[in-house]
Amino acid sequence: MLKRSLRKTHKKTISNEKSSSKDIKLKESDIPSNFEETIDTFKSIYSYPDNQDVVLRPIDISGINKKSTILFINTITDSKAIEDYVISPLLNNNDSSKKVEDIITIQSIKTKSKVGDIITKINQGNAALFVEGEDHAYLLGASNFESRAVEKAQNENVVKGPKEGFNEKATTNISLIRKRVKSENLVVESHIISKRSKNDLFLLYEKDLVSDKLLQNVKNRVNSLDVDAIQNLSLLEQYIEERKYSIFPTILYTERPDRAASFIEDGYIVLLMDNSPDALVLPATFWSFYHTSEEHYLRFPYGNFTRLLRILALFITLFTSSLYVAVVTYHSEMVPPDLLLAIAATREKLPFPAAVEVFIMEFAFELIREAGLRVPSPIGPTIGIVGALILGQAAVQANIVSPIVVIIVALGGLSSFAIGDISMNFTIRISRFLLLLSASFMGLYGITALFTMGIFYMVSIKSFGVPYLSPLTPSYASSGDKIFRKVLQKEILRPGYLKPKDLKKR
Amino acid sequence: MEQSKQLIGIKEYIAIVLLMVGTKVTDNTPTILFEYIKNAGWMAPIINGLIAIFPIYLLIKVFTIYKGKSLLEVSDHLFGKFFSFIILFIMLVVAFGAVIVDTAIYTDIIGTMYFTKTPTIIVYGILMLVCAYGATRGFEQIGSVAWTVFPYLQVSLFFALILTIGQGNTAFIFPILGDGAWEVVKESSLRLSLYADFLYLFLFYPYIKSEIVFKKGTWLALVFIIMNLSIVMVCYIFLFDYKTIMQLNYPYHELIRTISLGFIINMEAFFLPFWLIATFVRFSIYLYINAILFGHLFKIKHFEYLIPSLATLIVFLGMIPENPTFIIFDIKEKLLLMTSPLFFLLPLLMWLVAMFKGEFKNANKRNIR
Repeated sequence: MLKRSLRKTHKKTISNEKSSSKDIKLKESDIPSNFEETIDTFKSIYSYPDNQDVVLRPIDISGINKKSTILFINTITDSKAIEDYVISPLLNNNDSSKKVEDIITIQSIKTKSKVGDIITKINQGNAALFVEGEDHAYLLGASNFESRAVEKAQNENVVKGPKEGFNEKATTNISLIRKRVKSENLVVESHIISKRSKNDLFLLYEKDLVSDKLLQNVKNRVNSLDVDAIQNLSLLEQYIEERKYSIFPTILYTERPDRAASFIEDGYIVLLMDNSPDALVLPATFWSFYHTSEEHYLRFPYGNFTRLLRILALFITLFTSSLYVAVVTYHSEMVPPDLLLAIAATREKLPFPAAVEVFIMEFAFELIREAGLRVPSPIGPTIGIVGALILGQAAVQANIVSPIVVIIVALGGLSSFAIGDISMNFTIRISRFLLLLSASFMGLYGITALFTMGIFYMVSIKSFGVPYLSPLTPSYASSGDKIFRKVLQKEILRPGYLKPKDLKKR
Repeated sequence: MEQSKQLIGIKEYIAIVLLMVGTKVTDNTPTILFEYIKNAGWMAPIINGLIAIFPIYLLIKVFTIYKGKSLLEVSDHLFGKFFSFIILFIMLVVAFGAVIVDTAIYTDIIGTMYFTKTPTIIVYGILMLVCAYGATRGFEQIGSVAWTVFPYLQVSLFFALILTIGQGNTAFIFPILGDGAWEVVKESSLRLSLYADFLYLFLFYPYIKSEIVFKKGTWLALVFIIMNLSIVMVCYIFLFDYKTIMQLNYPYHELIRTISLGFIINMEAFFLPFWLIATFVRFSIYLYINAILFGHLFKIKHFEYLIPSLATLIVFLGMIPENPTFIIFDIKEKLLLMTSPLFFLLPLLMWLVAMFKGEFKNANKRNIR
């Protein structure tokens, strides 16, 4: 209570905030009936002519003899299309009986009368045509945002299978998905999720598969956002996830349209946004972070071999360095005598305890990794030289670390790359340090205690109502795609934890 | 802590029961059995198991009338508020005593066998910290964890047993009946409380997906446990012979110290993590049981919040005995003896009362609150 009253007294009054009620009122109202007034209103809204890329072009429509003005932002609009399909038909019209809609030959025309709606459309790259004597504006679809072409997926590489990746343009991404799911049941819903920048969010799902409750849950969460701007999906992910401080990710982030499409076909919901070369898939389970799309493209034995490698790599990453510390510090009797003598001999001249030694090397490895990521590519090779020579060889020769620690850390570091998903990769790397810490305090007892707590934590996580480890536990009807996958012909069920409307794949 | 109540399935349920009861074979329970029944000790789980069928059958019979009600509500209904309070209170005392004694034993195992230099309070503290954390997650989560780890624990146990059989002497099993058939039956039935945990399982009745799952799960779990316990105990005999086991306090830990695989001579550190996981899950369940009982008796609705304080209390009570290896061993023996009649008589009493009250006849019309 004291806290609350203190907070009350400390509440600052935000003084220099101007009232925007006038603007809001203007945006809610219809466009003025007077043509000149309309143009002036929009001129003031768009700060014309200070605003360099706003184009206002008066046109006298011949034939029907009406004054009109076209307004668009030329940096995000296809000026060529406007010129060919709007301006020249209007100027060259001879027929006095034609209506404006029929003169213009551009493919999409909408009419809107609210100022706010018109502004939104113009900001999205459409052109607005105001015609004298009409109480609405024509909105002409000609948006043309700059974007790169469809390229190879950067982070989720496959050897066998499609190589296309999403790019920063949502319409392209939707088209990439539609290319794979050619169904009228695929719904692309659009929501405006931010108040100031009006960022568009696209919700993709198959309407005859997705569970209504899940869909409603996602929509509620997306619509309840109250923020000025959310630029892209990476930011949105942090707004809609449930546990913000958890080290486990609960929303899957993929840049592969084939992966997104296969999730949609299973009854998941996919989110797309402009400026995001990726898609968010929800809900996500632990397994979706552990899988990659390639395991299904490879034949059954090869795919499962990869899975086996990955699960081993996962455990190697998590446990090698901590087990080494635990064994050397607390359970040295476990090591066969010859090996123990070998380890002891290399550690003879070292000044540090095993835990410190491993910490130094692990930290150095993380530094190399981070540096490799940030360094400009022309000087990239330097990192390799520094890493291999200084940290590998020189550190051993200088008796800072023992050779076996270099092996252990390198093995753990190498294995950590087997987990492709970037969020899960961080989870594993952070957990590795936590395990290392617990191993240095309590040996195997500490490792096991932390591991058990971790499992307890994992089973209590839910992603949009779906338990994190399902279908392993709690068990649900599904194709059993967990650590290993089945033969394709036997994967006939959609995941039951999503409560899809149609469980069976035909 | 406001978890959505999701009911648990048969896999999770069986895993919970197996971890609750099956783990006993790795502490000093086998020693207690071997002490009185000599080398027929491995029969005790079987004989007790057969006897235990009776009370479990009666309980299931009673509980099928009250669909989805837990032991607490059924007891309240059958015995009335006052007597029910006494009975449940006795159950709480027994459960709390058992969890103190058992955690003290497990701490002692960790302290004497693996971490000889670490202060007891730290070992004990970490044990209860993990268990309390697990228990606060909720019953469904404990079940999930139990099922997630169970296959690996079972595999590690069987791996140890296979190595044991290879290194043991099968002739140690003779004479099969030890001191004689009557002695075996008498002494083992006095320690029926080996399976007393089954009584507490009926607290979880409303958490289980369906009646059939509960019935089937309980019986299957009983069979698995009997098999597990007796097979492991037979292996102890193969490796040590009964004279040694009577001396050994923690035969499982001596066993994993003794066996070797090729060039790896000391394997205990390989088995330790698996055993520890089982321990953590086991005491999470026990803590949860205590919290449920305590919460019901003293009308605390959000009993999950009790768990941390119960865990702290357990640490301090369990630390009291100065020489746990002997004192706790004694207490545990007494507890086993004292609990046996409770486990046998309470179900009988419940069944009789239900019978006299005529509950079985108008089962279909009944709908208690």
